[in-house]
Amino acid sequence: MSRPRHNLRPHASTMGHWSRFCYFAGKAWANLIGNKLVTILTVFTITLALLIISLFLLFYVNLEGTVEQWSRKVVVTAYFDNELSPQELGALKNRIAALPGTESVKYIAKDEALKRFRSRLKGQEALLEGVAPDVLPASIEISLKKQFRSVDSVTGFVVGLKRIQGIGEVQYGEEWVRKFFTFFQFLRVLGILIGSFLILAVLFIVSNTIKLTILARKEELEILSLVGATPFFIKAPFLIEGMLQGAVGSLLAVILLVGGYYTFLAQAVNFLSFNPAESGLIFLPTEYIVALLLGGIMLGLIGSLASLKKFATT
Amino acid sequence: MIELHNVTVTYQKDAPALNGINLKIPKGDFVFLTGASGAGKSTLLRLIYAAVTPTRGHVVVDGQNVTRMTRHQIPFLRRNIGVVFQDFKLLQSRSVYDNVAITLEVLGWEKKDIGKKVYHILKQLGIEHKLDASPQRLSGGEQQRVALARALVNEPRILLADEPTGNLDDHNKDQILRIFKEANIRGTTVVIASHDKRVVHYSHNRIVHLDKGSIKEAHDVTPQA
Repeated sequence: MSRPRHNLRPHASTMGHWSRFCYFAGKAWANLIGNKLVTILTVFTITLALLIISLFLLFYVNLEGTVEQWSRKVVVTAYFDNELSPQELGALKNRIAALPGTESVKYIAKDEALKRFRSRLKGQEALLEGVAPDVLPASIEISLKKQFRSVDSVTGFVVGLKRIQGIGEVQYGEEWVRKFFTFFQFLRVLGILIGSFLILAVLFIVSNTIKLTILARKEELEILSLVGATPFFIKAPFLIEGMLQGAVGSLLAVILLVGGYYTFLAQAVNFLSFNPAESGLIFLPTEYIVALLLGGIMLGLIGSLASLKKFATT
Repeated sequence: MIELHNVTVTYQKDAPALNGINLKIPKGDFVFLTGASGAGKSTLLRLIYAAVTPTRGHVVVDGQNVTRMTRHQIPFLRRNIGVVFQDFKLLQSRSVYDNVAITLEVLGWEKKDIGKKVYHILKQLGIEHKLDASPQRLSGGEQQRVALARALVNEPRILLADEPTGNLDDHNKDQILRIFKEANIRGTTVVIASHDKRVVHYSHNRIVHLDKGSIKEAHDVTPQA
């Protein structure tokens, strides 16, 4: 079936794309201003929702940072029965450094090992009296690159390390590494689950709040449809409205987050037993902030689309 | 122009609102739909502007089968049909100007052209001085004229009205009917649903009488002396 003829009178000039966009934007703005209470309610809901998500992100980013710090403790130690000559040691260090995954290699001589042991026995150094300085074996401590700090990678690295001639016993706290990474994986999955749940809940709440604005203008939608407005014509101002509300909501959420974070840092010393500024606490990276702002706009857009689906029909 | 072929509309299973309707309204005709409340007058009008889908049969408007139209085609059909609703359907929070301009905005007209055209139609209907007023501050007759202005402003090929004189006094009724007649003289096909005898006998017009969803009679009447 051919599309019905348009009823455009010849004496009337019709809008171009830019004029049409300006018309929709103007309508959206007029609607926002005309329904102040509902607009404020929607923006407030988006702000609150994104603030909850950003607080969760802040917590998650810091948790990951802490886990990253802990994972640095995954060190592979290779022992030798005898001290190595400087030439032998140099050659061995080079071979280990060439292994994929090696971040740094540190040689611990026998006397250095004893010194470390002594420092751990603070207050009970007397126990080591009379002990020969060469009682502990020399060793090489190898730190691994971030991406090689998983159980499988560590095990694979150790296999490669043992193939190097001159390497005796190798220790890496297998059980600890396994537990640590299992816990880390659990935290990640939990974080993704809670994050996804939060996003869904936020989408639901925002969509329902926007539905209020659409319900308030149900009559207008009906009239528009009856005088021949296309679904796009009806939807466009609402979508722009949703995006504007999302943008303002997310901007407010970011401002509140930044304000809240730095106020907390300034005040926390007074009521916490540690200084958070010196504890490695980090703020959200810039890309997260940008994602939050874009997320707010998307949230407004998707919320409007979801709400309009039901209403913008013939 | 408007054809209904064996059209049945059923809202509830055992009580069809319209039952096997066959009707042809030629281009430029002026038709009154009469009948008691619940006879199916409003449903018949709704079929023409595709607000209701027939349960059986098909509706042809301006050579196009409305029954088979997609959601995206219906707006273009409606742009050729002006509708005056029984409850006016005016936006109370907007001005008279906004209420009328909405029809032309939908068509994508430029603002300056909309301004001229809206003023022109309001002047024709004698309410140009109410341009900035809110509909809720207008009398019933004035609201009816705003609704008429919105329906007529884009010079539609078809004009439908559902009980357009329902709450008006005789003076206002005559004026409103005169406006319908003028539109009809300019070539617009007019269909009015009404149970008001004074309105129905307004002039030489075709009357389609509906009773419990069926056409009982269709004839021309001579105006009362």
